[in-house]
Amino acid sequence: MSLTARAGAGARAGTGPEDRAAPASLAGPVTRVPGRLALPDESKALPLQPARLRARHVVPAVAFLLVAATASLVTGPAGLSPLGVVEEVASKLPLLHVHSPLGPTGSVVVWQLRMPEMVLGLLVGAVLAVSGASYQGVFLNPLADPYLLGVASGAGLGATLAIVSGAGTGSATSTVPPAAFAGAVVAVGATFALSRSRHGRSAASLLLAGIAVAAFFTAVQTFLMQEHSSIELQAIYTWLLGGLSTAGWSQVLLVLPYIAASSAVLLCARRLLDTMSVGDEEAMALGLSVRHARLVVIGAATLGTAAAVSVSGLIGFVGIIVPHAIRLLAGPSYRRLVPLSLLYGGGFLVLADVVARTALSPQEVPLGVVTAFLGAPFFLVVLRQSRKLT
Amino acid sequence: MHRTKTVRAAVAAAAVAIAALAAGPLAGAGAATRAATPAQARPEAPSRSGRTDGFPVSLPSQGGTVVVPSRPDRILSLSPSATQMLYAIGAGKQVVGVDKYSTYPPDAPRTKFTGGETNAEGYLPLHPDLVLMAFPSGTVVKQLTLLHIPVLVLPPASGLAQADQQVHELGRATGHVAQAGQVVASFMADVHKEAASAGGAGRGKTYYIELSPDYYTATSRTFIGAELSLFGMKDIADPAGRGTGYPQISAEYVLHANPYYVFLADTVCCSATPASFGHRPGFSALSAVRDHRVVGVNDSVASQWGPHTVESFVGLIARLLRR
Repeated sequence: MSLTARAGAGARAGTGPEDRAAPASLAGPVTRVPGRLALPDESKALPLQPARLRARHVVPAVAFLLVAATASLVTGPAGLSPLGVVEEVASKLPLLHVHSPLGPTGSVVVWQLRMPEMVLGLLVGAVLAVSGASYQGVFLNPLADPYLLGVASGAGLGATLAIVSGAGTGSATSTVPPAAFAGAVVAVGATFALSRSRHGRSAASLLLAGIAVAAFFTAVQTFLMQEHSSIELQAIYTWLLGGLSTAGWSQVLLVLPYIAASSAVLLCARRLLDTMSVGDEEAMALGLSVRHARLVVIGAATLGTAAAVSVSGLIGFVGIIVPHAIRLLAGPSYRRLVPLSLLYGGGFLVLADVVARTALSPQEVPLGVVTAFLGAPFFLVVLRQSRKLT
Repeated sequence: MHRTKTVRAAVAAAAVAIAALAAGPLAGAGAATRAATPAQARPEAPSRSGRTDGFPVSLPSQGGTVVVPSRPDRILSLSPSATQMLYAIGAGKQVVGVDKYSTYPPDAPRTKFTGGETNAEGYLPLHPDLVLMAFPSGTVVKQLTLLHIPVLVLPPASGLAQADQQVHELGRATGHVAQAGQVVASFMADVHKEAASAGGAGRGKTYYIELSPDYYTATSRTFIGAELSLFGMKDIADPAGRGTGYPQISAEYVLHANPYYVFLADTVCCSATPASFGHRPGFSALSAVRDHRVVGVNDSVASQWGPHTVESFVGLIARLLRR
């Protein structure tokens, strides 16, 4: 635990004092490094103000989200004019008397194909980003991602089972999400059950149990894949690489309750995350029951991630790059990070989906490939930045 | 003080999450079940298969039913095998697009589609009124159903009888029932004539058909295996094919089985040649390598079950055995 704690605290350069005195600027963490050693002086020099979420953070985030959502609705190979799509959407809004120029097919494309895919992207991106941010907070590790505790391997095994058992019947599209969700919950449950050592459950033992459970589930999944033919393999790979392929609203409705509840819990826990970011002992000294707080945050983040993974497969990097980008832009306080992660995460994934659909049209690039392709270079930039900090 | 408050708020939110959990799967499962059987939701008049144009026609697909409301004249075929069948039964004039792997007939209207698209929207500019697929991806079938475009899924045939069955189904789906019957009859006659021409030279001979250099192969419970079974040949992979017609075996398995014939159906994808096969470690000991019975074939023989591919492969084997 102490190792992770130290590494995490080092890389994020004094999160603790940050949320007390935080005039967030673009180069926030960099400029504050010298002040970190002289903490008392700094708090004297700067007026004591909490790191509140301000309009200058929220307005660009909401604008980004709206741009992404609009881009997603108006792009597609069906040959609908962007203006026509906007008028179609406006025609369904109350009080606006706009006549839609689109025919019945165009209407289905907008409301049953593009709109659910866009909403699904918003939900999945938002919950992955906010879960990633929360995991990084509770594990005090900047490299933590939402798949840390076996969610990915459990969901992967569930999806694989559903695909190989429903092969050729066409039932796979409806059985994969519940099976993946169940697999994810079972895997994380196993991680929790196995992480209790003689000294109780620490963040380190959770991480190690997660690695062991993930290895085991992945082994079973690989075995199953080996046993089956290339047709099912293709379906499994398509799922593993991630995507927002959806038809109608059933998948959105399937995950909405989990993602909404998970986001609500994490929004409520944003102060807890700030407190925990100073380290276990310090947080306990501040009167926080670290163990219970960690359990609530991890539980909420994991449920949301499991729901997201069950409909979208494994989409990497959103849970890492989005929170880190926001830390660079708005400072590391979770009071800003959590709500901004929701907004930017949703917008980022929707934009990535637009790229995935249009870059090589009519061929589609797997969404996980796009997020990693954009995410890996970005991640290197983040790494360079954090090297400057320490 | 405010910390305890936050904990309480978080716990309350967790309670909401648990309540949502209890309600979630039920609602979701219901939605999924409803969406899975969209074709059955619309009652249609039963088809009269006796008449050539007995539309609307109901056809089995993916465990459900697909209704083709009227004779399609804008067919999008995203399966090379279905494309061959369509042209064989005289429905070629009704085809507006085929996938990029449909190389026969050469003048079919090829598109950039692979048939593995996860989004059906790309097909709309062609205005298809019937879509044929072999390996639908993701939710594409559901999307087409929402768009009121009938989609017929014709998976890889497990034998020649199932391939014929698909020709009959396409005959009904396109209004060419009689031609489909004739095609099947003459196809079966041709194939059996070719098989007979080998005069039992293949009887009892073992073979290994390689689909990729990592030893993916086909058993006799696939269409390619069925074609070789016509000659009385035996597949070395049959004991390995538990639950799948396309198992993966190993180099050691091939060495141990020592097949009489080796067919390399990975000459296009993976540039396999009889020479490169013979140079794999230990393979020089195989009798098929020593006696030059390693045969490179086009990959499509193992991935297409249309009449053109099947007849040319059966002809090739017959010529090989007659030598």
